[in-house]
Amino acid sequence: MSSSAVDAEALDLVCQLDNVQGMVDALSAVRWKRNQDAVIELSEHGVVFIVEETGCLQAKVYLQRELFTRYEYSAQGRPRLGVSLGLFVDCLNTFSVPGHSSFIEIRYPGPDMQLLLKSVDSLDACIYAEVKTRIPDSISWDYNFEPAGSTPLTFTVKSAALKEAIDDLEWPGSSIQIKLQPDPPAVTFRGEGHGNLQIDLYYVNTDLLVAFHCDRQVSYRYKYKFLRATTSNIPNSVIKDNRGSKLTIGRGGMLKVQHLVSVARSSTLHPHIDSAGYQQPSRIAYIEFFVKPEEDEDAVND
Amino acid sequence: MRWNWALFGGSVVSMVVSMGGGGLVRVIWGLWNWSCFGGSVEGEMGEALAGVGKVDCIGREMWGALAGAGKGLILRKQEQGQNRMKFKAFLTENGVNLLEKRFLPALDKMGKICHLFLTSEHAFFLHNLLSGDGVQSIAQFQKEALFDDYRISSQNEDRIAFAIDMSLLSRAVRSSVSICSELGGGGSNANRLQIKLVKKLPPNSTLPTPFLTFETKGYKSAVIQDVPISKPLSRAQVLELQTALDMAQDLPQTLVQVPDLNQLQNFVDRMKHVGDLLNVSISKYGDLHVQTSTTLITLGAEFRKLLVVGERAVPPPEDQNVSAQIRSERAILRGDAQSVQVNVKHFSKSLQCHQVKPDCAFYGIAPQGACLTVIFQFFIPGTRQTDKSISLHCRLPVLDPS
Repeated sequence: MSSSAVDAEALDLVCQLDNVQGMVDALSAVRWKRNQDAVIELSEHGVVFIVEETGCLQAKVYLQRELFTRYEYSAQGRPRLGVSLGLFVDCLNTFSVPGHSSFIEIRYPGPDMQLLLKSVDSLDACIYAEVKTRIPDSISWDYNFEPAGSTPLTFTVKSAALKEAIDDLEWPGSSIQIKLQPDPPAVTFRGEGHGNLQIDLYYVNTDLLVAFHCDRQVSYRYKYKFLRATTSNIPNSVIKDNRGSKLTIGRGGMLKVQHLVSVARSSTLHPHIDSAGYQQPSRIAYIEFFVKPEEDEDAVND
Repeated sequence: MRWNWALFGGSVVSMVVSMGGGGLVRVIWGLWNWSCFGGSVEGEMGEALAGVGKVDCIGREMWGALAGAGKGLILRKQEQGQNRMKFKAFLTENGVNLLEKRFLPALDKMGKICHLFLTSEHAFFLHNLLSGDGVQSIAQFQKEALFDDYRISSQNEDRIAFAIDMSLLSRAVRSSVSICSELGGGGSNANRLQIKLVKKLPPNSTLPTPFLTFETKGYKSAVIQDVPISKPLSRAQVLELQTALDMAQDLPQTLVQVPDLNQLQNFVDRMKHVGDLLNVSISKYGDLHVQTSTTLITLGAEFRKLLVVGERAVPPPEDQNVSAQIRSERAILRGDAQSVQVNVKHFSKSLQCHQVKPDCAFYGIAPQGACLTVIFQFFIPGTRQTDKSISLHCRLPVLDPS
């Protein structure tokens, strides 16, 4: 262990995490297909994973430094590195032993610019990994999310309900309309294609819609496959914890979907967590998806 | 053997065969309920005939004579062959527990087809011994560990071997066991599970086919389960099997004990997603190091200070604070460790053997890196003494023998 302390000075990042499964869950949430590349951005605030597809969908996982039991950052600027997301998740998964809380250390860069991982909970048994990194592609478009006016257009829905609604919308067609209206306060998902399916969520009780802010009617269409990517791999822990997901429509119809994933140690998970996710905020990983609307939508909204 | 059941229609016979000198057989008939015992009648008869020792085959004419006269007749001796092969035994309670809950489910995962090799002292379940690829697994039981009233005879030094479908065998045993416990009653011996080798005509066929038959007799009823098996192996094939078995007994010079098979299996199962090939190195210091490596990732696990059986050495102190990879490389250079490459799926399969609930498991590399061997050890219940009546080991083919 003493040797790692010496090396650490030359490294951009040395961090330790006591709940690998939480990190696996958070990263799996943005893994909507088998082979995906991710860009990892390191900073003094934490680690961000960025995944995107064809300039229409982007996902970010924020692992704030507070999630880590140790976080030593000494890089200049914000190093960015590219990895295969699937491989990284599969690799992390090998560190996660059911029934144990696995303690790992992540270091960057290795002698060949690798990400170095190793388990640190036992002296006589050690799991280690070296993940090759590459120089990342530049992010193809800027997802500067701007509010669409003075009041935000946003609603918070139970993650389980959102997932169910989006799953149900699979059959009608490839394009889904999301409509927000203030009176009566409601959100409508509508799919048209082989048939029509409309799902209305009314803001009358807080069973499904936990929060709702909308001062004018808006409606945008989104590609089904992108909407589906935002919920297809929601970790079970999110559903089990009865958490909510927040959806916001920004300027130009850009849709932002936010989930919260617990990265708490499993032992602290047992006390019941209420719907507001009332828990140490520092033990939450934030996940954001940005979905561009389909372009043929008439400009009525703005 | 060619039996002609058509002669008897729906109701058949049991018989006791006794034999005087000169091949004379006296048959005493009794009525038996066909629907209850079904095809086993032939087995019973085969077995009854087995008792006389000299009868190899009964021709069709016998049946004609029997049907006609119902008294003594002379049997024609026909060609010598596999017809002398006989096997019959009762599974003990311990044997049932070992097979049903532990060995059969685990061995089923090793591969669909298995050779069952029976000798006058042992029963072996052998996987991949003749095929040459895949994980070889060798489960050996002293006959007393599984059976009592064990009777076997063949013209090949009382050895019989055949191929059997493990999942069918597993299902037949499971179902026989549940019937056995349901039937209950009828005295301590009445509901024992009998296993025997028979040849009979399957429905809609004129070719007699060999079966391994399980027979559960209750007080009033009986259930028979037939598991189809291959034609028994020829003398040459049995010899080949025996040779392969003898060759599979070489012990690695150094064996290390795996502390937690479940944990290792968990790890290796996840590793399967990352790479296909696994480098395994085992040192005389008691280190087990497994690693998979692709162009994008290297993933490994090292277990240290494991119990060593066989040749051991003291780890040099300068190796304490280096990485697992460097430690293995140095040990190999020093000649204190060996390394082989195996298929990660094979390794995972070998770990699935923990279903047999061994008391210990040891990994070692055979001399010249010929294979990776895992040996499971069983204790006599309640002791720390090796139970020599049961043994199980697997041999994993190595991909690069150099």
